[in-house]
Amino acid sequence: MVEQVLNAAVNGLLLGGVLALLAFGLNLIFGVVKIIHMAYGQFVMLGFYLIYALTVQLHVPLLISCIIAVAAMGALGVVTQYLLIDPLLNAPRLNQLLALAGLIIIFENLAMVIWGADYRGIPIHFPILNFGSLYLRSSCLFAFFGALATLALLYVFLHKTYLGLAIRAVAQDAEVAQTMGINSRTIYFVTMGAGGALTGIVAAFFTPIYTVHPHFGSSFTIMAFIIVVLGGMGNLLGGFISAFIIGIVTSISAVLTTTEIADIIALLIFVLVMLVRPQGILGTRVA
Amino acid sequence: MLRVRDLVGGYGDFIVLHNITIEVNPGQTVIVVGPNGAGKTTLLKHIAGLLKPKKGIIEFNGQRIDSCSPYKISELGIAFVPEGGRLFPYLSVYENLKVGSYPKHARRTFSEAVEEVFELFPVLKDRRNQLAGSLSGGERQMLAIARSLMAQPKLIMLDEPSLGLAPKIVARVFEFIKEIGTKGYSILMVEQNAKKALQLAEYAYLLESGEITFEGVRDEFLQNPYIKKAYLGI
Amino acid sequence: MLVVFVLLAILPLLTRSDYVTHILILILIWSFISTAWAYMGRFGIVSLGHGAFLGIGAYVSSLLFNYYGISPWLGMIIGGIAAALFAGILGYACFRFGVIGDYFALVTLAVGEMVALLIIAFREVTGGSLGFTIRNLNNAPLYFQFTNKIWFYYISLIFLLIALYVWKAIDRSRMQKALRAIGEDEIAASCLGVRIVYYKLMVTVISAFMTAVGGVLYAQYVTYLNPHTLSGVGISLAIPFKAILGGMFDLWGPTIGTALIVSLEEYIRIAYGTKYIGISEMAYGLALIVLIIFLPKGLYGTIREKVEGRRAYL
Repeated sequence: MVEQVLNAAVNGLLLGGVLALLAFGLNLIFGVVKIIHMAYGQFVMLGFYLIYALTVQLHVPLLISCIIAVAAMGALGVVTQYLLIDPLLNAPRLNQLLALAGLIIIFENLAMVIWGADYRGIPIHFPILNFGSLYLRSSCLFAFFGALATLALLYVFLHKTYLGLAIRAVAQDAEVAQTMGINSRTIYFVTMGAGGALTGIVAAFFTPIYTVHPHFGSSFTIMAFIIVVLGGMGNLLGGFISAFIIGIVTSISAVLTTTEIADIIALLIFVLVMLVRPQGILGTRVA
Repeated sequence: MLRVRDLVGGYGDFIVLHNITIEVNPGQTVIVVGPNGAGKTTLLKHIAGLLKPKKGIIEFNGQRIDSCSPYKISELGIAFVPEGGRLFPYLSVYENLKVGSYPKHARRTFSEAVEEVFELFPVLKDRRNQLAGSLSGGERQMLAIARSLMAQPKLIMLDEPSLGLAPKIVARVFEFIKEIGTKGYSILMVEQNAKKALQLAEYAYLLESGEITFEGVRDEFLQNPYIKKAYLGI
Repeated sequence: MLVVFVLLAILPLLTRSDYVTHILILILIWSFISTAWAYMGRFGIVSLGHGAFLGIGAYVSSLLFNYYGISPWLGMIIGGIAAALFAGILGYACFRFGVIGDYFALVTLAVGEMVALLIIAFREVTGGSLGFTIRNLNNAPLYFQFTNKIWFYYISLIFLLIALYVWKAIDRSRMQKALRAIGEDEIAASCLGVRIVYYKLMVTVISAFMTAVGGVLYAQYVTYLNPHTLSGVGISLAIPFKAILGGMFDLWGPTIGTALIVSLEEYIRIAYGTKYIGISEMAYGLALIVLIIFLPKGLYGTIREKVEGRRAYL
């Protein structure tokens, strides 16, 4: 039993790495564009389906499919900004939420129509590594280090480049940033594009781990929100930490009870955090 | 250099400014004084492109800018130091300065510009990695002005730089502004503290309830009886 | 007004078609539910988790009937109270701790999903994802089962009228003034002494009760329950959509929105077959987005605004 829990904890930790990427995207978008991207999980789902379609249906090599998917999701992010968010920048927040909720409906049904309700997977197998009584899926390990590497790159981008600096500036004070020669609108597009591309990357890491189906997005969207709220909305560091917490907690719960109960526990954490400390563990701010 | 003619503007349908005409010539320091709520900040916001005028023209170096986006106006060479400085609170002193040099032409000169600023303000150099939100009022104002210089502007607009600062600090800030003026920058400053501000002015305007009620060179201003009574406490 | 009522009353007798009656019944039931949702929505308290109340109402009532033979007429009240209690606790927690606006919407979304997951988790009792069927008694009016659709039509119509009446009652009460003030500026309202938590709670509880009753209505009509149709994210988003399309600030708004959407869904189902259900849902998502961007007051609301030349609520 202890071994099972330990195993779950470690695998949860590895999963946390990828969840941290997801949380990063959401926090970035929330911090800069000031919008809660309700359909983020669905973006991941679409990215996954895209990789599936390219790899399995069109026989494109996996690596190329992943690269295409990342680019495509980035483009989708930009298009979403252009068609959906831009017109609603001055509308009440609720309208923005509802519009993105509409996007959820569109994407899930799009997937349903094109690929049907069955589970689709990409047949690649990563070996399972054995460390004593610990069984680690190397796909999870790969995802973990890949995610950390991506996050490191993103950190460098945000802190060492002019564009990254501009993004952080717009997140803190969009009006003043404008007077410094930064075109806020462009920054919004860049942010949404980056956020989109991130979902493509997450989808790529997910390919050897999960199978996709039209409701795949929902569980990740909710999970991502829980992480983001727990860590403090807009707080990149907070999101990073809480991703691991949630990853471990849900993995262990899934082992101790059932997957649904694990999800319910996660949702409960979310509701409790919202009630007791809506700023999350590290508070809402932008790194 | 900067020409505002018959500007009518405000916030949405709420008109604050009525037929404002002011001018700033190259290298000149122009001060706009007036009471609270007269529309001074609103005026600067219109010039900076953050607000769009209902009527009137704003020209910079012969080019019309009243319908331009703020970032374009910044690229053309107008820097804006808003009330309180409005630094980026979670960026360091150094990073705040760097943002100032965002326009492409300013990036090349950034390293030298930063060195110059640090020479002028050793305080900022000491705190270069500190978050801007943790600086004192005076330091913040200095940083805000320094930040605006990073973009190699031709015109610097200052919104009430003395606000919330202790008199000694205000004196230092104004000293600095005077120095900038002598370096050749054109300055347009709005201030409530008429006494101190007018010392720097080459030309001044009086803005009351959204209208220009008086204008003139510094001495004309300082000798006008109404102004002396109402704004200079004499 | 009277003409409308008379028309509604004799409509099923006119059509004779079982199918048209069926559509009308669906419209009436969902209008009832979306109107109940709009009790909260119109004052800016947007819930994206009404599926929770729908599910609680339907499952409580139907399980009580299947296992203990309790009549759904009673089950409806019990389910309604259960949902109201649940809403009361949730609402109190949220309003007391200042969870409002989009954060409240997110919390309700999570809760709606939680209820769905709970239903699925207890699959031995509820049948899980596959759902369960209500024990068939053929024609048993005391147990809310009828073989002739006409009964469902008139009962649903009466319920809808009750819902509309409650709307008007809220309008005339102090609650309306309080909630409007809260909707416009919550902080100012609290400074004026308006008991914010109390009023928000009241309207939430009422909305939850009615929604749960609606869930029972639907379950009794369809005689089949499924956690995905009666709870969860999907239905929780569909309800506000119907209300918003028609205009959630107006009495008839949700009804009109529902009528339009149900008809549209049926049309697509007929024209393109069930394979294309996905497409109809996509069109519906697209319409939602276009609507939010261009007609935030909904169809009915926008038209009404233009016609009457004055601002609708809020």
